[in-house]
Amino acid sequence: MNTIEVSHLRRVFTTNVGRIRRQTKEVVAVDDVSFEVHDGELFGLLGPNGAGKTTTVKMLTTLLIPTAGSATINGKDIVKEAEAIRGGIGFIFGGERGLYWRLSAHDNLRYFASLYNVDPEVSVKRIPYLLELVGLKGREKEKVEGYSRGMKQRLHIARALIHDPKVLFLDEPTIGLDPVGARELRQVVRDLQNEKKTILLTTHYMFEADALCQRIAVINKGNIVAMDTPSKLKTVVQDLSVIEVETFGIAEDVLNQLRALNFVDNVSVEDHDQKQMLHVQTTRGSAAIPDLMKLLDGQRVGRVVAREPTLEDAYVRLVGNSRGSD
Amino acid sequence: MSKLRAWMRTIAVTFEVTLRQNFTDAFVIFAIVVQPIIIAVLALWMLRERGGDFAVFVVIGSGMTGLWSGLLFISGNSVTEERWVGTLENLVASPTPMQVVVLGKNLANVIQSLLSMVASYAIVAWLFQLDVTIAQPLLFIASLALTVIAFICFGLIMASFFIISPAVQNFQNGLEFPVYILCGFLFPIALLPGWTTPLSYLLTPYWAAQALHGTATGAISMDSLLLSWGMMIFFSVVYVLVSQRLFRFVLRKARVDATLGMQ
Repeated sequence: MNTIEVSHLRRVFTTNVGRIRRQTKEVVAVDDVSFEVHDGELFGLLGPNGAGKTTTVKMLTTLLIPTAGSATINGKDIVKEAEAIRGGIGFIFGGERGLYWRLSAHDNLRYFASLYNVDPEVSVKRIPYLLELVGLKGREKEKVEGYSRGMKQRLHIARALIHDPKVLFLDEPTIGLDPVGARELRQVVRDLQNEKKTILLTTHYMFEADALCQRIAVINKGNIVAMDTPSKLKTVVQDLSVIEVETFGIAEDVLNQLRALNFVDNVSVEDHDQKQMLHVQTTRGSAAIPDLMKLLDGQRVGRVVAREPTLEDAYVRLVGNSRGSD
Repeated sequence: MSKLRAWMRTIAVTFEVTLRQNFTDAFVIFAIVVQPIIIAVLALWMLRERGGDFAVFVVIGSGMTGLWSGLLFISGNSVTEERWVGTLENLVASPTPMQVVVLGKNLANVIQSLLSMVASYAIVAWLFQLDVTIAQPLLFIASLALTVIAFICFGLIMASFFIISPAVQNFQNGLEFPVYILCGFLFPIALLPGWTTPLSYLLTPYWAAQALHGTATGAISMDSLLLSWGMMIFFSVVYVLVSQRLFRFVLRKARVDATLGMQ
């Protein structure tokens, strides 16, 4: 059974520019998105910044009305039956906003419990349980303004779970967290999935989607470009190998020359201060290394390694060449 | 939990949470304590020729300016602040109707704004050693209770506009003094041009000012007092009914225009 059904969802934002000669500008955030999430499934929406992930989640959580298309949560329409949907879903949006900083974690949860009509007798037990679950026990009486980003993110999770919803929307929950905080939060997501909750997770971290999600939809420029299990998505690049080349201050024209080579499928670049890591997807495996090095002659080059493609490489192939690590 | 019981609980928790947040906000203290004191001192000097009951008139009038500023700025800002900190989306996406949340917030803001009357009283009675005697205390208390209800209901209408867009806040400052003047907080509306009178009659703060000033100074007939009370009740019911439609409209508009999460 499908808990979430999305059919040809579209959302256009309209902005006005100018005061005297006002011009209307339209931005298509979500163009044509369709997918289903099964009961108890952890489904990933994977895409770069600006791909339409958050807009999709905001429509599904009844915060935005779609320009076209339709969607249902537990069979209820997100526009016509928004009120009926709200009590059964929980959501978090990445970042630190969305909490009352001048209140303690405990008071934040108590307030949201009342907003979600949780019986006081239930919330008295549920709040300590959630604080324990997200690792905030012992700090619950402190004001949120003194919390680290990770603590705020974990409080967001507790807030979203205060009414024990069956369906959860997690929009980039680990964004901006340090590696330890992100790992702990992923464990919380795994635990939630073990409780058979239906979860829609958006992320632009491939390894996160690979590690957590049963199925993934790759979204780019407001459209779903691929949808399958992580292992099947990897087959998109089964004909390819990846050569990783460490460079220092590589010029854009050299990158363009690399991309133009007939045995190169894609080149993505990860920036690390002075250093860049090139991920060159090629059909020729390690045999491509001598030709690549010939083209990079005169450039400062460090480590060169050939490896098997990952989900990230499949993602790069699906959404096209991109520069930058995010 | 029955829906009504759940809503009553939400109003109570919202009331408590709002008060706790407000009392850590320096602007709130300024709007409901410092500003009414400044107005009281100025009004004492300006109305000293009035004689007799002018001190009690000043206490009530400057206290009402605090009530209005509290409602206009603190309730208005609270919606803007919810948007700013990202909690407005959480409130709208919860199963509790937004009106219930706003009701709890307004209740807290209006009740705490009564402090402005206490502050004005303190300045006039203790610092200036003037006689501040309420002529009809029981009728005054009843009028004050109706005033609180009327202001809360008036605040429902205002809050709905603040939900539409953060740009609405631009008009907030412009509303403060016209209401002081149109509602006769410190000066009778007879001093204003005749065409403004119907506008005053549409505003519950005007009827509240009539009832509070009248019962405090004893210069109101029972008929006039009953008219003021009746108008406060009538307009409060109208505001509540209108706000139901307004909230439905503005919440839908905010979801269409994507202004709920706007910073």
